[in-house]
Amino acid sequence: MELTLLHLYPDAMSLYGEYANLSVLRRVLELMGVEVTVRSVGLDDTPDFSDAGLIYMGAGTERSQKWALEALRPHVQPLKEAVERGVPLLFTGNAMELLGSAITDQSGRVWPGLALAAFETREGERRTVEDVVAHTPLWQDPVVGFMNKCSATQGVTTPLFAQLSLGTGNCPGEQGEGYVEGNVIATHLAGPVLVKNPAFLNWLVGRMAAFQGWTLPEPLPQLPYQHQAYDVTVKELTARAGGHHGERSSV
Amino acid sequence: MRLMLAILLCKALRVVGKLLGKGSSLPGQMALKLCPDALGRVSLPRHIVAVTGSNGKTSTVEMIAAILEADGRKVLYNKEGSNQIEGVATLILSQCTLGGKVRGDVLLLESDERYARYTFHWFHPTHFVITNLYRDQLSRNGHPQWVYDAICPAIHPDTHLILNADDPLVSCFAQGHPQTQVTWFGLEQCSVSTLQHRGMYHDGLRCPQCGGAMEYTCYHYAHIGHYRCTSCGHHRRTPDVAGTALDLSAGVLTIDGSTDIPLAFRSIYNVYNILAAWTVCQLCGVDKAVMGGVIGNYILKNGRMVTFTLGGHRGTLLTSKHENSVAYDTNLAYIQAQQEPCEVMVLVDSISRKYFTGETSWLWDIDFDRLASPHIRRVWLCGKYCNDLALRLAFTGVDREKVVVEQDIRRSAQRLKEEGSLPLYVVTCFSDRDKLLELT
Repeated sequence: MELTLLHLYPDAMSLYGEYANLSVLRRVLELMGVEVTVRSVGLDDTPDFSDAGLIYMGAGTERSQKWALEALRPHVQPLKEAVERGVPLLFTGNAMELLGSAITDQSGRVWPGLALAAFETREGERRTVEDVVAHTPLWQDPVVGFMNKCSATQGVTTPLFAQLSLGTGNCPGEQGEGYVEGNVIATHLAGPVLVKNPAFLNWLVGRMAAFQGWTLPEPLPQLPYQHQAYDVTVKELTARAGGHHGERSSV
Repeated sequence: MRLMLAILLCKALRVVGKLLGKGSSLPGQMALKLCPDALGRVSLPRHIVAVTGSNGKTSTVEMIAAILEADGRKVLYNKEGSNQIEGVATLILSQCTLGGKVRGDVLLLESDERYARYTFHWFHPTHFVITNLYRDQLSRNGHPQWVYDAICPAIHPDTHLILNADDPLVSCFAQGHPQTQVTWFGLEQCSVSTLQHRGMYHDGLRCPQCGGAMEYTCYHYAHIGHYRCTSCGHHRRTPDVAGTALDLSAGVLTIDGSTDIPLAFRSIYNVYNILAAWTVCQLCGVDKAVMGGVIGNYILKNGRMVTFTLGGHRGTLLTSKHENSVAYDTNLAYIQAQQEPCEVMVLVDSISRKYFTGETSWLWDIDFDRLASPHIRRVWLCGKYCNDLALRLAFTGVDREKVVVEQDIRRSAQRLKEEGSLPLYVVTCFSDRDKLLELT
């Protein structure tokens, strides 16, 4: 069994520790006996989606997100074909916004999106930097993570996370966060979200295996300390969500 | 009249606050409520020097103060590090005459990078030093580019900028600023320079101006070095004040090819802090001999390196900053460079003492492979986030057999007291270090 993880634009879209999402995926797949290749595509490279078992892009700054958008635009047709073939796609942090119909930046300039989804995003002057606890019907354990964005995304009808007990959704006042439609998966959670969430990691491995036509081993291999780390964070953040409010600075 | 009342109020609250041992923000905050434009109405000293950036603000400010005082100037500065507008107001108004004249030759301010624009709404610095911008406390700060954008409105066209030429993002502040009002400091290629980048991430891969690919001829640490954008030509400027030679093991920095400075603290950060302090003090008219004398005898006061004993272990605490991978990398590099066998403890218990967060992404930005060295015999991972550390280290070359995961700090200390006698290096943050030190 062989599989290629395609990492789009780590030279621009690496806010912090995004690479680790692919490190843990690779480790779990290797423990399942899969030979894994991680292929990085830089802003100046031409992406080749033909053999991808996952297409991944992480969070960036507002500027680097636009560089990534313009770098990917000429390749949107092969990207769409890969998605139609069923290749799982995961975009985290503000990479999610590229999938929509448009991004309006702080200056009011409208950047047409890649239009793989119908939502659209508007950037503002306030930044949302906060811990998140999210819930999804797709798996049992709550998701923990961190959001670091200055935007609101409207028009998502199929969020990845149905409800948040801590943090802000796609746009203020809305419960949903992220986006999922078939094999297109996105969340504004930044950083190594698959490291922090064993259930999310396992769910994604399941989706990737299904696309390859592989049968999953029972149980899936576990990474040492990942569950213990998750348990501590979920306990800390849940206590927080339960009303133990202290001082938190805003930006 | 309102100004005078605000000054009186500030002075009174300051006296009371000092008696009660309270922080230094409140008097300024109350005075600004009474007279919101107080900072625009007082008469300030001729030189107003501000320092901002991700790392090295406090050390640089202390060094500048020491030099200017040795030169016979009366320097007002925020020693307590209250670097937002309220703290600055406390400093200024409590040192005013009732007529609103600030007593002193130089007003020296450490300025929080995100709040500088509020502080400098009413007045602006004559000299503004920007040390560096990189990933630091992103759970508050967003990201370095966001911080850059927050600093921009604080820069007045009349302000003289003192910029780190070796930082590609900091050097962007010169764009659109009168070039006669910019002075550069930097380090030439020297013994610490490498041709290859080292670290888990490289924030200098793309040009901060245009997104083009950057080329480096050398690196000094992280993305600090000699760079050029292959697309728009954004490049490192030739420094006006340059470190022309550096021998960290002998502890000597040569400035402008002529002045040798003995280093009291042998780190690359200290070198940049010295270059920044040197440049701004030279612009304020201080003689080289005075500057050299002060820096040569300068002892860093911030206590980032503390020694202790734990049973048979001689301990060295290297205070880092959580959520700051560059600070961690420097301390890990220091341990890696030691020759004798040792043990290492990494302690992450509270990520911040000032605010709550469970954010651990930054652990993946730290180059923990530096601990995969034969002279490091054991690695203790302690505190609430020891499991996150253990998971992180499972993705390095550090031998599993060497790793001890122990959440309870007290139990770790007890075990160390009972076992072994190798030197122990502890890497942790201000927020956590006393949890161990109180057990020694």
